[in-house]
Amino acid sequence: MGKEECKTMLDALNKVTACYRHLVIALGSTSDSQNLREELKKTRKKAQELAVANRTKLTSLLKDKTISKEDRAEYERLWVLFSSCMELLEVDMKRSLEIAQEFPLKVPTRHLIQTGMTGSTTTVAARAMSVQNMKYEADSNIDTADLRDLQAEITQVSQMMEEMEMKVQVAPWAVEAKQEAGAELKSNMSVGNSSVGVISICEEEPKEEEGGGGSREAGFASICAVIGFFVIVIVALVLGYLVVNM
Amino acid sequence: MTINTLAKGGCHREQMACFRKMEKVIVAMQDPDMGMKMRNQRLLITVIPHAMTGHDIITWLTHKYRISEEEALHLGNMLVKYGYIYPLKEPRCLVLRPDESPYRFQTPYFWTSTRWPASELDYAIYLAKKNIRKQGELMEYEKERYSLLHKRINHTWDFVVMQAREQLRASKQRRKADRIVLECQEQAYWLINRPPPGVNNVLDTGLERPNNFSCRVTLNSDYYKREIEACRKALGRNRVKSSICLEGFLKYSEQYLNHDPIMQGCLPSNPWISDDTAHWTMNAEIVPVPTRLRVERWSFSFMELLNDAMGRREFMTYLEKEFSAENLYFWQACEDIRHGENSKIVEKVEDVYKNFLAPGAARWVNIDSKTMDKTLEGIKRPHRFVMDDAQMHIYFLMKKDSYPRYLKSDLYKNMLAKAIVPQETKKSVFPFMRRQRHSSPSPAQTATQAAEEEGLAKGAGANSAAGSHF
Repeated sequence: MGKEECKTMLDALNKVTACYRHLVIALGSTSDSQNLREELKKTRKKAQELAVANRTKLTSLLKDKTISKEDRAEYERLWVLFSSCMELLEVDMKRSLEIAQEFPLKVPTRHLIQTGMTGSTTTVAARAMSVQNMKYEADSNIDTADLRDLQAEITQVSQMMEEMEMKVQVAPWAVEAKQEAGAELKSNMSVGNSSVGVISICEEEPKEEEGGGGSREAGFASICAVIGFFVIVIVALVLGYLVVNM
Repeated sequence: MTINTLAKGGCHREQMACFRKMEKVIVAMQDPDMGMKMRNQRLLITVIPHAMTGHDIITWLTHKYRISEEEALHLGNMLVKYGYIYPLKEPRCLVLRPDESPYRFQTPYFWTSTRWPASELDYAIYLAKKNIRKQGELMEYEKERYSLLHKRINHTWDFVVMQAREQLRASKQRRKADRIVLECQEQAYWLINRPPPGVNNVLDTGLERPNNFSCRVTLNSDYYKREIEACRKALGRNRVKSSICLEGFLKYSEQYLNHDPIMQGCLPSNPWISDDTAHWTMNAEIVPVPTRLRVERWSFSFMELLNDAMGRREFMTYLEKEFSAENLYFWQACEDIRHGENSKIVEKVEDVYKNFLAPGAARWVNIDSKTMDKTLEGIKRPHRFVMDDAQMHIYFLMKKDSYPRYLKSDLYKNMLAKAIVPQETKKSVFPFMRRQRHSSPSPAQTATQAAEEEGLAKGAGANSAAGSHF
């Protein structure tokens, strides 16, 4: 079904955009490194592929005159989501070019901003690329060739967006969101549950709440289940013994 | 889909100069040898590096730029105010304290930027993320803004929710210390770009928007040469003392007082009030008999005479009598070149040369040799203003010579005598039908003027005290 396919592709693009933004935030800071630049390159290539795929699919669906009204409304909604995603991606790409130019890596004295972030971003990039581990090639000219590529890609993306605006007639104001305000709270995604435990340092006093934060959710649930099972078995044995002996 | 503010090929926004300078200071602070002294921030079990105290910041600034402590405090305050450094203990209070309070650098992505202004979409995503993290416990103003955004960018709200969830999942991939830092960074960024109500928005420069002409100026010899040239031109400009200027203004006002329809009223009646267009028809471009006021104005200045079509015609008649009409013809032709069509300039200049400047021309004008040479040179490459010098010469010739004689001539005096003074329209009998001819007297006109007005204006005896009522 066209809709499901579109949604999955859009979700994938959404995921890659979020990861890309996360990586760009780390640019220029102490977690910046050759690896980060490579991750950025890979992520944005993936993003571009997904973008092109999405666009082709959606344009072909929207051009189809035989679809029903509800279908068309749905596709228009997906189209609006897609273009918002592309907007974010474009801005992030432009910004990454700017920051990368300001903070070149292959210089004798690097002046990366000491922001307190020191960990690596490998896992984020792995999530974006949907792989387990990231492989890196030691590219020696990240400062020059990579940035040129980036510029070319930015022009490509801008052109694509221009084409999109011109060719597809979708009125964004006519689209209504499916989610109401506060919809994100109602979901039972893992995001909602385990984020309770995140340290709320940034408020007035640094309070630390060690919840289940950080630990894998699945493991936690299974451990709980196992413990519960054993508790129940023990209780049953005790009761049985009492029954037998009484 | 938001309106694309980064217009393709449109205006390319620049980072404000003050921000670029602040960025340089921040980068200088990162120097491994001469930079800032960093400490570790200790939270219960996590240790986050790269914290500094307010005191350290001030000491560093004092040493690096050799300024007083007060100035360093001010400079440091600016850095905090604009979000390049954010406080760790009281994040909402963006002030630099010269004591042991901890601060940290902001990541370049979140630096304040006029080039990349924070968009509504980003803010919506941030609020959605915070909503998820805090399980709905947003601050009041954040809740309001959230609902406002939900209404405004409703069409893309699904994307906001999707992206918020994904961004949180992405940040979960990092270790705890980095996650904390990321949250603090984001919060600091949005405190500056979307300040809570009651807090000054530092990005709002108000009425005195700073000029950002020369974005990047290299102070080389070219730059200085241009500056010197500009100053030289400025020195050469004519400047008039305000005392002289104001005297001239006063004289002008006195001279034109009687001719001003608002101050003196217009005869026969003000068309806007009485709906009678006689005033306009009487003062049209070409009339058989001009009004007296108009003819009087010709004597005020030469330009007045020339600007009035009838005046020019009269003057031409006079000059023809004096056999110096070619001057006025020449002047008119030059005006035509100056204000006429671009395509006809070459042709017109040719004509002017043929008729007025060539030796043995039909209407040869008398110009001094220097101006003549210059003009003839210029004619080889004709442009709109090629005749300016010659025209100016002839203009002053007429003004100094022919114009005063014209004013003394019989022609002018007859014209003046012939000129009509229109009768004031009769006032109707009924008082409530009467239209006030004068506008209400200006505050500047005190009792002295009032008496004059009474005598001058109402022959029939309407009450000048009566306000304008219609």
